[in-house]
Amino acid sequence: MSARNPRRPGLATMVGIVWRTRRRGILVWVIALAASMIGTAASIAGLYDTPAKIHGYAEAVTAGSALAAINGHVEGIDSLGGVIQDEFGFLASFLLPLLGIALVAGSTRREEETGRLETVLAGRIARHQPVLAALAVATAAILATSVLFAAGLALAGVPVAAAILYSAALGALAFAFAGVAALLAQLVLHGRGVYAGSLIVLAVAYALRGVGDTTAAGWLTWLSPLGWVEKAAPFADRRWWVLLLPVGTGLVAGGAALWRSARRDLGSALLRGGLGPGHATRLRRQPIGFAAWIHAPATLGWLAGGVLLTGMMGALARQLLGALAGNPGLAAAMGMSGARPLHGFVAGTQLYLAVIGTGYLIQAIGTLRAEEAGGRLETRLAGTLSRIRWLAAHAVVVAAGLAVIVVGSSLVLASTTAWSVGDTDEFGAIVRSGLAYLPAELVLGGVALALFGLWPRGVGLGWAAYAVATFIAFLGPGLKLAQWVLDLAPTTHVGNPPLGTAEPGGLAVLSLVAVALLLLGFVAFRRRDVPRT
Amino acid sequence: MSVSSAPVIDIRNLTKSFGKVRALDGLDLSVRPGEVHGFLGPNGAGKSTTIRILLGLIRAGGGHVELFGADPWRRAATLHGRLAYVAGDVALWPGLTGGQCIDVLGATHGAVNQARRRALIERFDLDPTKRIRDYSKGNRQKVALVAALAAEADLLVLDEPTSGLDPLMEQAFQRCVRERRDDGATVLLSSHLLDEVEALADRVSIVRHGRTVTTGSLAELRRHTRTSVHAVTVAAPDGLAGAEGVADWASTSRDGQVDVRFTVDAEHLDAVVGRLHAARIHTLTVTPPSLDALFLRNYADPVDAREPGETPAGATR
Repeated sequence: MSARNPRRPGLATMVGIVWRTRRRGILVWVIALAASMIGTAASIAGLYDTPAKIHGYAEAVTAGSALAAINGHVEGIDSLGGVIQDEFGFLASFLLPLLGIALVAGSTRREEETGRLETVLAGRIARHQPVLAALAVATAAILATSVLFAAGLALAGVPVAAAILYSAALGALAFAFAGVAALLAQLVLHGRGVYAGSLIVLAVAYALRGVGDTTAAGWLTWLSPLGWVEKAAPFADRRWWVLLLPVGTGLVAGGAALWRSARRDLGSALLRGGLGPGHATRLRRQPIGFAAWIHAPATLGWLAGGVLLTGMMGALARQLLGALAGNPGLAAAMGMSGARPLHGFVAGTQLYLAVIGTGYLIQAIGTLRAEEAGGRLETRLAGTLSRIRWLAAHAVVVAAGLAVIVVGSSLVLASTTAWSVGDTDEFGAIVRSGLAYLPAELVLGGVALALFGLWPRGVGLGWAAYAVATFIAFLGPGLKLAQWVLDLAPTTHVGNPPLGTAEPGGLAVLSLVAVALLLLGFVAFRRRDVPRT
Repeated sequence: MSVSSAPVIDIRNLTKSFGKVRALDGLDLSVRPGEVHGFLGPNGAGKSTTIRILLGLIRAGGGHVELFGADPWRRAATLHGRLAYVAGDVALWPGLTGGQCIDVLGATHGAVNQARRRALIERFDLDPTKRIRDYSKGNRQKVALVAALAAEADLLVLDEPTSGLDPLMEQAFQRCVRERRDDGATVLLSSHLLDEVEALADRVSIVRHGRTVTTGSLAELRRHTRTSVHAVTVAAPDGLAGAEGVADWASTSRDGQVDVRFTVDAEHLDAVVGRLHAARIHTLTVTPPSLDALFLRNYADPVDAREPGETPAGATR
């Protein structure tokens, strides 16, 4: 915190501005996150309603190290809270840091980048106050999420002290990343860079925690913010002091951000691009080449995510299979039972990869809307490029990007698995199972594209559909949701290959739906006004 | 270049509504080949909406629109091969350099004259290796202008093209537009800056609240306005105060000289100057009627009852 009195009138005004301009997004984040966490906790409490069932789950999950790599090592897993922490481990590792990152990135560097901050700072607002206000609002939102979650856990039957500590640990995790994002916002030039940098920090944290939890180098876990949630051990020893680590990290990073913001020039950044070529290459003058340039950063980012995930999973394949061989209960708990445990493992990984591929599609189509909202689509269509060719060029590039992500990650999964288990028999089956998910991914991409054609302001709803489909795909079977609910997620109709057989009928229907949505998007886009507000 | 005199742009009774807001309410616009046509009106008059319809970006609500004799909504991409456009609010890709942007924009125009591209970059004093995000607003505007002016286009559609340019660059812009006109290009210049239109336009159309208020050549429009005269003479001009066509008379005597100011209509100017000459002119300033005068005359009218309640300003965004 800076030495100045933070209670100057400017800060209250600035907090008001941040809240007024961002409240809808903040409320959606808080409510969606709290609701999904509370819903998961309640469902788990319903499923594991006897000590025997909880004990069975704990036995199964602790049998191998592969699951610990994904969900984390849970102390006190032989309790309702422990089961909840384990089940929620993977999603919480990403959602809570993202909460902190999104809340801060959107109200710091993005505002500066668009020039809105300049207008604000021309008023009675000190240079450091926008950062302080962004952090204050983010902290309040994180606290609200934690309180809601703690209440939900307590209602589900988790002891109150443990519920509070677990929620506080998750909130502190989000706060640490809010601080990191605030600091990055002072160093890079664009809101996009804040996200990219924060996600790299998150990926490193995840890898450190994964390696620390599964190897002899257990101290590595202590280096990871994600590890601190585990080390607080809310359902075992309850080490409250561990919360000091994430809170301290958030305060130090946030303080450094405040210090930087009070001293640096507006619009400046430590890391920025230099001069570039004075001419565009022949490729970039073509619609396809230009679309490829626009989508390249997102494609590379999601590809990196897919390769990281599949590489890690593949490398752990042997350990996981060893655990499965000695423990049918674990296989059942992971939904990986069946004649070929390796197939179950690959099927589980491919589902994660499908979520990555779908996320890429939704983001890419959101980029098209951003081009329109930014006025650049108008510039683009004022030339000889027709609407259909413009959209087709983007569709081709995005589809190719999806293929690169899915095929590339599947190849990594196949190679690392072959290396880990020592044979290449399943190489083809692993890659084919990745391809089988393409129609399901394209259905959600089609939803986003149809929205872009029909109701461009609603393109953001594509993310809502994505969140629902992801939730159902991951947690639906475990929570024993009704079949019609499960059927809402496109991935349900793929047939869970290679554990199950890819269903040609299901894939055909998914493909038809995807094509229909795609056509709808094209036709609607051809007929509508540009720009449409 | 087309030698026929069929209009390049032919808009009659054009309407467009955004929800309840009527942005265009029977607008007419006719642009002849080879002319610079000033498209004048205050903010929110419907200029940008008209241009977007002309480019086939949004669909006309009603009325008749022809660009090069064809329907711009149906044949947008084909027609765009013959025009170049500079948007009022220039939006470019922040990650590209200025030069890359010029080429990307140029690739969507019919053809780019590379020699002219080089010359324009020099004349506009633009560094094409800088990123768009590092440019000032004026420099971003220059990027769009260079791309449009370098294109081998029959028609230039310029929507408030000089916003953000300094006076020197405005001069450079005006020279470039005249050169393109001399090459035979047609120019539609939308603006709310009167001196800019006055410096460039052969004919103007003035719009307000989505309707064309008046249209014609500058000479035609000026015929109905008055010339201001300011003279210092040695003797008092004889019988000028009550002469035919003279109004707004004001006269003072100072240091043995007579200082007179008045306005006169165009047909009596010759006679008036004769009388001034007889009184022995010391200094003489004659200011032709400015577009300001025209503009103010057309906008000073009270808003009539048929006007839409809401100004369509929000609708053009």
